Amino acid sequence: MKKLANKVAVITGGSSGIGLATAKKFVDEGAYVFITGRRQAELEKAAKEIGSNVTTVQGDIANLDDLDHLYTVIKKEKGHLDIVVANAAFVEAIPTAAVTPEHFDKTFNTNAKGSFFTVQKALPILVDGGSIVVVSSGAHQKGIAIYPTYSATKAAERSYVRTWAVDLMPRKIRVNTVSPGPIETPIIDLQFGTKENSDAMRKTFSEMTPMGRMGEADEVANAILFLASSDSSFTTGADIPVDGGITQL
Amino acid sequence: MKKLENKVAVITGATSGLALATAQLFVAEGAYVFITGRRKKELDEAVETIGHNVTGVQADSGKLEDLDRLIDTVEKVKGRIDVLYVSAGIGDFGVPIGTVTEEVYQRTFDVNVKGTIFTVQKALPLLTDGGSIIMTGSIAGVKGFPGMGVYSASKAAIRSLARTWTVDLQARKIRVNVIAPGHTDTNVFAGFPQEVLDGLAKSVPLARMGKPEEIAKAALFLASDDSSYITGTELVVDGGVAQI
Repeated sequence: MKKLANKVAVITGGSSGIGLATAKKFVDEGAYVFITGRRQAELEKAAKEIGSNVTTVQGDIANLDDLDHLYTVIKKEKGHLDIVVANAAFVEAIPTAAVTPEHFDKTFNTNAKGSFFTVQKALPILVDGGSIVVVSSGAHQKGIAIYPTYSATKAAERSYVRTWAVDLMPRKIRVNTVSPGPIETPIIDLQFGTKENSDAMRKTFSEMTPMGRMGEADEVANAILFLASSDSSFTTGADIPVDGGITQL
Repeated sequence: MKKLENKVAVITGATSGLALATAQLFVAEGAYVFITGRRKKELDEAVETIGHNVTGVQADSGKLEDLDRLIDTVEKVKGRIDVLYVSAGIGDFGVPIGTVTEEVYQRTFDVNVKGTIFTVQKALPLLTDGGSIIMTGSIAGVKGFPGMGVYSASKAAIRSLARTWTVDLQARKIRVNVIAPGHTDTNVFAGFPQEVLDGLAKSVPLARMGKPEEIAKAALFLASDDSSYITGTELVVDGGVAQI
């Protein structure tokens, strides 16, 4: 029996990395998925990779009109949602001294505000007993010099799920985060410019991690599946670190 | 494809409750399990409940010679361990600090802490590289519940051991994690007055006690490759009670 048979899920930021790996896994497990992303071409590529039971909705979670559009589409096509995976995020490696107001706003508007309204606007069509998974980051409990803003937004997400676990209790909606550590996704190369820089960061990340390696997107997707499915039926308000032990020792 | 196909698992303290439910689920997922328990009768009943692919070894985790016998048996029958789930534990509740006796302390720490340390240590020669160690902690380890100081401290110790062993066993790629159950519907609560149980359930965001099967599913997640990048952590299965 598939773990998400006949479930309807939305995965923001579903065109690459953790979001795409999660979308594929969900569809393998019987779900219908809606994926979002800012770039139409990337979305279409992702949909092709996923193959079936997927609808793409172009949009930026920092834009509340885009979120309204997303849920209008889902409501029209499926009428309801069982699972929300708030995964879309923005990350830019900038130490505090170099942070501009633009960088600050973009990070908070996407991660802190965007994930908040991704969940709020999903509530009217989310079924009672549904599951919300917010993709935070191990950074939410670490001090990493290049991620002052990103880490803070991820801590905000960790905090949201505590509140929502209580707030949505009457509807038996479970709310949890996963906190990935360093994961091998396209965002690594996008963050560090040159191949040399990116590879140097890969080495640093691997050495920082007790397991001695970076994680794979699929390993995070497994934890998201666990939280999305009834396998985790008594877990709410919690966080699952998928980080090779980096935040845990 | 089953999640634990051809895996050999050892689960201590598995004659009832969450560890018995875990043993059943592991066998359903393709594993061969060794279970322990202190009492012969309960152990035999558990073996019968599980049905097949199971060996029962009578053992008190507080006694090192019993642990030696457990490991000897596993070595003879299967020769290796892929998943070690240390779940044997005891607790005296309703023992405020003023009434804790040396005996209460000793019994709790002997089984929960010393037993855990030496179960893992003695299993190491049989544990396969890349294996998974799971221990039953408790949300009590991070909470203050009246009269539960000794038990809670022993569970906090287990949480700590997982951090150290993650590093100690890193070279062998053995993952070490803790499951922290909240209030779970097992015989631990047998005999509690209904109003106490109702009060406990009400204190939980999900407004009920957990079921042993819900802990078993978390144990399966940590035992299997599904959690291949998760180590040194505590997976909380508590209906949110320690999370908010």
